Amino acid sequence: MIKKIALCIVFVFMFMGTAFGELRVVVTLPWIGSLVNEIGKYRVHLDVIVKATQDPHFVEAKPSMILAVRKADVLMYNGLDLEIGYLPVLIESSRNQKIQSGMAGNVDCSRYVKVIDHPDKVDRSMGDVHPFGNPHYHFSPKNIERVAAGITEVLSRLDTGNADFFRKNMAVFSSKLHGKESAWKAKHFHGKKVIAYHKLFEYLAADFGLTISGYVEPKPGIPPSVAYIGRLIEKMKEERIHTVITTSLYPRKEVDFIADKTGARVIVLPHDVGSMPEIVDWFTLMDTVLTRLQ
Amino acid sequence: MKILLFLLMTILALCPTVSAETLEERVKNLENALNRQEQIIREQQKKIEQLSGQKEQIQTEVIQTTGVDSREKERSAVRDYRLDDRSKAIAMQSASPISPYQITEKQTPSLLNPSISLIFDSLYYQTNLSEEELEEREIPGYVALHEHGEGSHSHGHGTFEKGFNLRSAELTIFAPVDPYFNLYATIPFTEDGSEVEEAYFVTTSLPAGLQIKGGKFKSGFGRFNAFHPHAWDFVDAPLPYTAFLGGEGLIEKGIQFTYLPPLPVYTLLGFEILQGENEVLYGEEAKSGPHAYTGFAKMSLDFGEYNTILWGISVTGGETKTESIEHETEFSGNSVLYGAELTYKWKPSKDRSLILQSEYLLRHQTGDFEYLEDSTVDSLKRTQDGLYLQGLYQIDRWRIGARYDVLSIFKDTYKLAGEEEDFGDNPYRLTGSLEFNPTEFSRLRLQYTYDKSAGNGKENNEIFLQLILGIGAHGAHSF
Ligand SMILES: [Zn+2]
Repeated sequence: MIKKIALCIVFVFMFMGTAFGELRVVVTLPWIGSLVNEIGKYRVHLDVIVKATQDPHFVEAKPSMILAVRKADVLMYNGLDLEIGYLPVLIESSRNQKIQSGMAGNVDCSRYVKVIDHPDKVDRSMGDVHPFGNPHYHFSPKNIERVAAGITEVLSRLDTGNADFFRKNMAVFSSKLHGKESAWKAKHFHGKKVIAYHKLFEYLAADFGLTISGYVEPKPGIPPSVAYIGRLIEKMKEERIHTVITTSLYPRKEVDFIADKTGARVIVLPHDVGSMPEIVDWFTLMDTVLTRLQ
Repeated sequence: MKILLFLLMTILALCPTVSAETLEERVKNLENALNRQEQIIREQQKKIEQLSGQKEQIQTEVIQTTGVDSREKERSAVRDYRLDDRSKAIAMQSASPISPYQITEKQTPSLLNPSISLIFDSLYYQTNLSEEELEEREIPGYVALHEHGEGSHSHGHGTFEKGFNLRSAELTIFAPVDPYFNLYATIPFTEDGSEVEEAYFVTTSLPAGLQIKGGKFKSGFGRFNAFHPHAWDFVDAPLPYTAFLGGEGLIEKGIQFTYLPPLPVYTLLGFEILQGENEVLYGEEAKSGPHAYTGFAKMSLDFGEYNTILWGISVTGGETKTESIEHETEFSGNSVLYGAELTYKWKPSKDRSLILQSEYLLRHQTGDFEYLEDSTVDSLKRTQDGLYLQGLYQIDRWRIGARYDVLSIFKDTYKLAGEEEDFGDNPYRLTGSLEFNPTEFSRLRLQYTYDKSAGNGKENNEIFLQLILGIGAHGAHSF
């Protein structure tokens, strides 16, 4: 009996350590996929769970997602509770040891980020706030460079044979980013005031000198009331705010109404890689965002 | 002990056999890996020492990123990271491998504390029936609502009181135990006290797509069974579930094995060994020890970007001893319940969705039917079925729903001592609902049900106004 148990345990561990070829990377959001592409290129197999047409706050778990996560060697996600509504279910249902929390294949990308907007105190009367700080850090080149570096490290650790390849790609990514950065810096907005739909662009504002003076949503995840819109229009007139920024995910009704009443320009920004046909990677995402904001 | 053995055998059977050769090889590989690791650590230590020395100097260094070859670039990139007190982090993480980019890795607080949430479920109930008629209401030929146990207020069909009802305040606690186990507990508090509705572990790291769940849990039988009352699509359970499993469904102590095979189509196979205490289908006195078993197979496919279908079949069977069929009677024998489920989901955006769902249940029961008053015994053989069909359509924060649930739709034999019994019209209900969901954490529901489930008895026109509120951790939703 005891022999059998011991044998069984041995077999279990043997099986856990099966060797693999190409590293299978599963990511939640398209922009993370873009970074993995930059670093891993053709030497990793990439699956992206969330479509660019989906609002990352409201993704629902689907059995097909479990299939992807089941095969993953590494799972990379945005973190800061952005995926709280579906990722825990996927991780548990995947029965995949490698990507359980605490394992090397479970990579919360926000761990490499300097988080802003960390609320001192949270309760849900404040709306569906992100309790660990603003999770939309993918508009911040500084943070993205750190995340890419983190991704490089994880990939190199899990696939030591390709570590040099990954590190070389990271160096190329880094220098491309630094090159871009000086061009982007030239587009500094010098405190230009805008109204945003959701707290999606706080990192962009911090890095590029944009002032977000108000939001179309009164609180995160809460649609505006007529009275609130009225007050917002007053504020825009008083403070001479001529721009409303939004994404294709948010309803246009209120935004168009505000634009109509104030004469403000509505700028629709892409929220992620793939949300517009010309946005094929993270660089074109940033290019488009900054160009459209001009 | 038998169960343990069975468990081990299953694992054993599903693990590929490993020959002695590969075993040796593996050990050798492991040794090599260890050696390499050691070397890396040594190198690492050296690096750390160097780094701590360089730290001050580096912080004032000006970095040029115009190097020509990639090695140069890489090095400069490395320095970039060191600039913002990353070197400190490297020095502190002495165990971290060769990472030039290594930066502080913080743990999310949610990983360290259990997620706790409380869900408040209350409703206002109105009907054309009197309180007395309500209490005596039953589904003839299926279940008698026996008055045993004071605490059966929340036990499903027809047991709401006219006026204000507090269904429950349900506490849910969840946390990973370690990388191998997750632990869950659901404890609804009602006016009659509290009970452990569910408390179970789930393994996360078994090989080959295996998973074990153990403790007290909602069985994987069917689709509706897995959901807690506050997550139901209507206030009450559909008729087939009430009739065959009681208002709360199949919640049992036991162990569940599931297997997710590596197929291109989502397929989940499951098997359960259960204590068999469900008061309607089994009964704890039927036999000491586990006396019920469940098996199920579920599949799912996506069509295009927005469409998903889920389907599956389930069966649960075991020994039965119950007083729930008729008053002052006891039935002992065997029961088997079959289930088939089909769900279609369309969700083009977060503001719009359609869910169509149906389940068919068929129960077969044979055994002895004893009249407790005079101890006469007759044989009972009954095969009955039930079905529900429902649809829910969501626009923004609003959702409308409709449901038709019916018993004895295709099959209804009830043979007492070889004689077919007749209980009158087929029981059925028609339900319509309107929901307003201000946020993910609140739901207001208005529901009307035309209830013709009492055979030839009175029809029941019911109106519910339900409020469900959740606080605490944001639970992940199942599909
Ligand atoms: Zn957000």
